Amino acid sequence: MLKKIQKHSHARFEELGYPSKKLENWKFSSSKHLKKYDSSNSGKNISIDHCGDEYTLCFVNGQITLESLNKFIYKDDMNILDIDELNDETTCSTSSNFEKEALFHLGLSTIKSGKYFEFKQGSKFDTPIQILNFYSKKTEALRISSFNIFKLNDGNNISIVEKDVNEGSGSFNLSLNKFICADDTILNHSILYDDNTESNYLGYNYYELGRNVLLNIDSMNINSTFNKNFIEIDLNKEGSEVKINILNLARNQQHLDNNILMNHNAEHCISFQNVRNILDDQATCVFNGKVVVADGAQKTDSNQSNKNLLLSRNATAHSNPQLEIYADDVKCGHGSTTGALDKDSIFYLRARGIKESDANNILVKAFAKEILQEFVSDDIRNLSENNLSHWIDG
Amino acid sequence: MIKIENLKASIEDKEILKGIDLEIPKGEIHVIMGRNGSGKSTLANVIAGNETYEVDSGLIAMNGNDITEMSIENRALQGLFLCFQYPVAIPGVSMAYFLRAALNAKNKHDGKEEMDAVKFLATAKKILSDLGLDDSFLKRSINDGFSGGEKKKSEILQLLMLNPQLAILDETDSGLDVDALRTVAKGVNEFKNDNNSVLIITHYQRLLEYIEPDVVHIMIDGKIVKSGDMKLVHEVEKNGYSWLMK
Repeated sequence: MLKKIQKHSHARFEELGYPSKKLENWKFSSSKHLKKYDSSNSGKNISIDHCGDEYTLCFVNGQITLESLNKFIYKDDMNILDIDELNDETTCSTSSNFEKEALFHLGLSTIKSGKYFEFKQGSKFDTPIQILNFYSKKTEALRISSFNIFKLNDGNNISIVEKDVNEGSGSFNLSLNKFICADDTILNHSILYDDNTESNYLGYNYYELGRNVLLNIDSMNINSTFNKNFIEIDLNKEGSEVKINILNLARNQQHLDNNILMNHNAEHCISFQNVRNILDDQATCVFNGKVVVADGAQKTDSNQSNKNLLLSRNATAHSNPQLEIYADDVKCGHGSTTGALDKDSIFYLRARGIKESDANNILVKAFAKEILQEFVSDDIRNLSENNLSHWIDG
Repeated sequence: MIKIENLKASIEDKEILKGIDLEIPKGEIHVIMGRNGSGKSTLANVIAGNETYEVDSGLIAMNGNDITEMSIENRALQGLFLCFQYPVAIPGVSMAYFLRAALNAKNKHDGKEEMDAVKFLATAKKILSDLGLDDSFLKRSINDGFSGGEKKKSEILQLLMLNPQLAILDETDSGLDVDALRTVAKGVNEFKNDNNSVLIITHYQRLLEYIEPDVVHIMIDGKIVKSGDMKLVHEVEKNGYSWLMK
């Protein structure tokens, strides 16, 4: 199966080439600087000292470590296979939109291996599963790709916390994931990205939802030189609910980019997208959020919100919330705001003796906390609040 | 306490204050009344240091120190407190966090230790109770989703917690029902002592039924045109402001 995927994606990438700014999803983010990265040396003979506890699945340069797999506490509650062992093409297929993405295919065409994680029906997963993506780069200009599939069976309630750790030279990390959520499942997916190696991150996460699924995606992103994320969700059966809360912090010339496509393909589903960016210096961000309500997806309730706080005159936010509605009995809304800190609020705080810099910091934190308080996990919220404080303190 | 001399101020090149002279000694309550647009709220904001306004000339001195060019926060730390006419909502910042930050800034400035959480809560709860507010008020975001009465009570809570030397009440009585008005007035009377001062800016005499002023000033077109006692309030209530414009 792996070779078949690679062959198909190689052909697609050859056909599409690196994306240009003429494409809607790449209008405000250049891919030129990504061309120099090469995948030839990734994942060879890399060993790390610490690959987490028994709840951690540790990936080094896109490949899972045997050590973490062996001690993984839930390994008997799951079927863990190489993607190569799968025979079912449907399981490996992703969205038709990712199919149009050249760099998605670039990633797939060069993966060394990938894993299929299936959670057994009836098993308990009380403690969140940590996914540690460790990127160790002894070689300059390395491109590292990973591809994993997670399948939740009826009744599963799973929390996954994904963290990236970068070491060494800056690299181009291409992360591709598919999540299949069967009926009556709960998936809490938290993603924390904090980098100081000037790496580039490109993520493609595709979620396929059955009936009565509850999906929470919480993400906080700081210190990324270039971070572009594609999230696509298919709500294929009635009764599902999706909440996405994303907080991005950027300064210097960092670039943050969220592309979310919510496909309401069935009746009585709910989705919320809540993305906030805080930008300083010359940082830029992009929000491309789209909700598509298919013909017949009646009683859809969907909302998109993108708020951008600019702390510098030179920071730039591009916001593009979109609705595409083909059903006639739905509730859909979207909103976008971009601006500086509110002068009246600063005056109010200062009029109580709080110095200007502290007043500014209080307001930045408040803006961010409105997202963080929506995070499902207390641990992730606390960790994110700490990261936020460190970022504000510079 | 505060002395203002020939204060002129403008916003976007439009002169609003056209030469204000005002002195409020320690231990006194002064009232400024006037029509809409006469410059009353501008005066309150200029005294508090709102940078939206430009001070063109004149002097503001507090306890003998010139504060005309002083930063907003330093004026507050000197003991100036503005009860806002329209308190802003700040979602995401709890009242407790805000009050503690303000108190700690004041204590630090005054060379005192930070107030510990137990003492802070005990003090705040007592005032909340007096204002008819629940303890959970402290957990709510600043003025976010507050009713008109809650916003004004929140200002009085801050006034009593921070215990400044000069409180400027900018139309604190507007939009309040009789019960809320009484509660706010009670808070102001509790605050008032021989060592501090109050400047009340208002349109109506109804707040003055509960707070007795020492001096009443009438402001018209950016100037104080007449000063007197409570009789002046009654005259304005009866005859309006037109007779003062001659």
